[in-house]
Amino acid sequence: MTTDEGTGREAPATARQAAFTGKPRRRGTTFQVRAAEIAARSLITAGGLGTILAVTLIFVFLLMVVAPLFTSATLETRGTNSVESSVITAIGVDRYEALKWIASADGRVLSMTADRVEVIDELSTARDGVGVPTAQTFSPTLDHAVLGYEDGGVVLVDISFEEDYLDGATEGLGDLAEGETRVVDGWAVQRTPVGQLRATRLAWEATEPDFPFEGSAVHLVDSTDVAGSPIYATLTADGQLALTKIRVRTSMFGGETRTPSSIELPYEQPDGAGLPLALFLNGRGSDVMLLWADGTYHRYRENDEGEGALVETRDLVADPNARISAWTQMLGKESLVLADDTGGVTTWFLVRDADDPSKLVTVTSGSMPKLTGRHVTALTPSPSSRLLVGGTNDGKVEVYHATTHRLMGESDLGLDAAVTAVELSAEETSIRAAAGSSLVTLTLDPKYPEASVGTLFGKVWYEGYPEPEHVWQSTGGTDEFEPKLGMVPLVYGTLKATTYSMIFGAPLAILAAIFTSEFLSRRLRSRVKTVMELMASLPSVVLGFLGGLVIAPFVQDQLAGVIGVLFALPLAFLFGAHLWQLIPRRLTLPWNNGWQRFAMIVLAIPIAVAIGAIAGPVFEGLFFGGSAQSWLAAESGEGAAGGWALVTLPLCILAVLLFITRVVDPLLRDRLVTTEHKHLARIQLAKFIVGGLAALGLAFVVGFGLSAVGADPRGGVIDTYVQRNALVVGFVMGFAIIPIIYTLAEDALSSVPEHLRHASLGAGATPWQTAMRVIVPTAMSGLFSAVMIGLGRAVGETMIVLMATGNTPIMEMNIFNGFRTLSANIAVELPEAVKESTHYRVLFLAALTLFAMTFVLNTAAEIVRQRFRKRAYQL
Amino acid sequence: MNEPPTTRPAVQGTVRPDDVRSVFDAVSKGEAFETCVHPEVAEEDAVLEVSDFDLWYGEKRALYQIGMRVPVGKVTALIGPSGCGKSTLLRCVNRMNDLIDSVRIEGDMRLSGDGIYGPKVDVIELRKRIGMVFQKPNPFPMSIFENVIYSLRIDGERNRTVLDEVCERSLRGAGLWDEVKDRLQDSALALSGGQQQRLCIARAIAAEPEVLLLDEPCSALDPIATGRIEDLIEELKGAYSILMVTHNMQQASRASDYTAFMYLGRMIEFGPTESIFLRPELQETEDYVTGRFG
Repeated sequence: MTTDEGTGREAPATARQAAFTGKPRRRGTTFQVRAAEIAARSLITAGGLGTILAVTLIFVFLLMVVAPLFTSATLETRGTNSVESSVITAIGVDRYEALKWIASADGRVLSMTADRVEVIDELSTARDGVGVPTAQTFSPTLDHAVLGYEDGGVVLVDISFEEDYLDGATEGLGDLAEGETRVVDGWAVQRTPVGQLRATRLAWEATEPDFPFEGSAVHLVDSTDVAGSPIYATLTADGQLALTKIRVRTSMFGGETRTPSSIELPYEQPDGAGLPLALFLNGRGSDVMLLWADGTYHRYRENDEGEGALVETRDLVADPNARISAWTQMLGKESLVLADDTGGVTTWFLVRDADDPSKLVTVTSGSMPKLTGRHVTALTPSPSSRLLVGGTNDGKVEVYHATTHRLMGESDLGLDAAVTAVELSAEETSIRAAAGSSLVTLTLDPKYPEASVGTLFGKVWYEGYPEPEHVWQSTGGTDEFEPKLGMVPLVYGTLKATTYSMIFGAPLAILAAIFTSEFLSRRLRSRVKTVMELMASLPSVVLGFLGGLVIAPFVQDQLAGVIGVLFALPLAFLFGAHLWQLIPRRLTLPWNNGWQRFAMIVLAIPIAVAIGAIAGPVFEGLFFGGSAQSWLAAESGEGAAGGWALVTLPLCILAVLLFITRVVDPLLRDRLVTTEHKHLARIQLAKFIVGGLAALGLAFVVGFGLSAVGADPRGGVIDTYVQRNALVVGFVMGFAIIPIIYTLAEDALSSVPEHLRHASLGAGATPWQTAMRVIVPTAMSGLFSAVMIGLGRAVGETMIVLMATGNTPIMEMNIFNGFRTLSANIAVELPEAVKESTHYRVLFLAALTLFAMTFVLNTAAEIVRQRFRKRAYQL
Repeated sequence: MNEPPTTRPAVQGTVRPDDVRSVFDAVSKGEAFETCVHPEVAEEDAVLEVSDFDLWYGEKRALYQIGMRVPVGKVTALIGPSGCGKSTLLRCVNRMNDLIDSVRIEGDMRLSGDGIYGPKVDVIELRKRIGMVFQKPNPFPMSIFENVIYSLRIDGERNRTVLDEVCERSLRGAGLWDEVKDRLQDSALALSGGQQQRLCIARAIAAEPEVLLLDEPCSALDPIATGRIEDLIEELKGAYSILMVTHNMQQASRASDYTAFMYLGRMIEFGPTESIFLRPELQETEDYVTGRFG
């Protein structure tokens, strides 16, 4: 716009001379035109740059949310206090860190302020006339303790923190600042961020022994709690092992009756070994495990008849010289953590035996990084996650992540004493460690211990799993649940959805594009294209519920028929084409236009549907024991032959086709050169029928052969049928991606220069030959890019996969099972994710992964498309 | 458009003074006139016979009562000003006009006696008997070899010896063999424009067509390439019956045996090239070939 400015100014002189009308004519660019130009240009530039900026900002925002996942934990010492106490065996703290309690070996429990050692209350675990406990165990969440006594009695303790809110005017507390703790009448008082006064005190509620043991002192004890009913296991000094369940019934009048029942377990003591070092009860109260100092491990289990037996014996410490130095159970009491004096810390849990699924075996999922020259002397699990805190004999604190066996942090307490007890607060913000008479408080920020590149994208061996696996299970039913945040099942589900929908959608879309660009007249083409593009306007949520509520139940009801139709449709068209050739040509030639195809479609589709719907169930009855679904679920006794035949049929058809074109055709060719059309048509039809039967026969031969050697197709692409599955999604999402692939493919085919089409048609090629030999190869990169864009759409598609799949994050290619895609996962879980939690950030990572996938696909498609355009232009 | 059917007149070898300008006047008034066909044409055997051929593009009429005989083994050139229907007539021969929706035709066209139009004609089979070379070189984006043997490929020929033989013979026929024999597997798009057009000719003659249609085969080429194509047409003469459209009067006079002059959808004069250029029967033809109009 500015280039002609110079001449624009000189214009008037020449304009006057050149005027046709005799009147002077303006020849300058008017102000409005220039202004509009500047305005339009800046607006368009702003719009363009803004778009790029917006995409970049989205990317940056996602990255900013995700990045903290990969930061490492911080651990530093906050302060050290000295406590007058004997060896501290357990420490607890309330969730607001107002007060803490310590239990010591001499039977005292002291509650004191959390940040200082100002004692608020002191109580004793000693029983009148019996003395201090001979055995005590605290639960991993530190809200229960079980104490065993000299007389064989067992006391269960509920440890909780009583909270109360004081009147704002309470005397002497007006000047209490936030973050400060003051002791008032046995309560630790803090000011909350909203200005209230919160008082906290320890509530130590011990129940009396339910029945006294006749016999000797309790040597080891452990307890668990199943739905409010306590279960505990005891080993007495004289070698009696018992499992006691207390059924608690609350009556209508508020009274509580406790009915204990106890079973004896046949305690066996290894030769030469004394009493065991530790006793564990698993979270469900079904297994009692004993551990000796050299790592010998015995597991007793209560069977269905209510009798206990020793079911497993093994050595959990490989080194014969190593001695167990510390032990604990992770949250949920299903995993054991054992530390030995050579510096090893190992996790163990029960899994189903691979050889005998009715049995459980104890396996290790791995060890923490080994300490050299020092070892762990105290262990405590996190009360809310899979963090594990260890204290060492040289006065250090180690923070581990038990599932991934990573060392998250380490801190030196600066004390020259072995750590006897460690504690991790419920919020995982502080650690307290006791060493000698010192009590050290540390500040912990674990950041996002569940997330690392390894856990998000690699296989992780979770508690209770027989082997490392890719698992996505972000929430569970209990507090002990460990979130499993493996992204791989989601990526797998996304790819599965994409694959199956492309298998259905892409060929249809591309064939439709070939049809409109090569077989339809120009006038009809534009109308058909508009209608096809109208398909894209169908909201995907509508497709989703049609898929989930209409198609999925229908396919489930008519599975055999649907599969029959899938096979019958292409066969019907091929058969029809062969039959058409049988009709004398003088009769068919006048039809040689669109009507021929139309007639074929009108005839072939209903016939194919009818044949498929009839043949499918017949086939099902013959080879699948009458129900394909129960066959798939391996519930019917039928062999695998039919399944194999069905799965290998496409391959067999290919093989027969190859055989015909490579072997049969050259043999026939010379003889057929002079044969007239009618005979040729018959020979072709015969070839088609014989070929088809041969393919079917071959498929059954292969099927019976494979099933005879014991192979089973179930477990691969076909397996147990689930109503909402990849087949349904394939149909529905295939439908959703057809318009976009169709439009782009049609553009690519239409942009192949007309002169190539003319050259081919002029040489006597049929439109189909022209399409296959000239147009499609020329437009190949354009078609490829269309498919890629379709892939991009399928990858990001949310509503259909959300509604038409079961959203089960499983990893199997089974076409009859569901899956969960990245996009559906985000849609399902993000509304429930706590902001800035690991889960929340991992969902953002899922979004980032999705973004990266579609970005890469679309960019690749665009690059290919640009190259295609350049090529098409050169032709 | 109710002209009486044109009869093929026996035209004398002299210019009739009363005809001067009358033909163009008749054409412009939409009146009937008779194509001036030189007697030599009738003596030749015809590979292609066109009679009373009319064509409409929708409402617009493009060809009027065309009648001509394309002699066997000779080169026949169609000349005339732009828009006179030369290419339309050529494209009617292998029914390429079928691809255009609104085209409607009347009249008769016969290839070696077989009807080209009619409900019982298989267009695909028909086109296999006719070779066509287009204005712009249009090799397929595949190798030189595959380009040449395209017509055999679509007929399902797989015998390598046959394919190789046909490829070599056609390329030799098109005078391209020596230039490309070492790079038959290279892309045809790498060839120069002139080479591409000769490749297209090779592709057309590989099918051994009964008639070869050339639609301004040199209009997109430089003078040297044009010269080579003209030489090639000279060489192909005798072996093939060629019907070519050209804008270039010199080309018509150099390369063809017979020339037909068309104007506004009518065939004005048709005769041996020498006669048309040196002793035309009609004044209008003389005016056109000498460049006084057109």
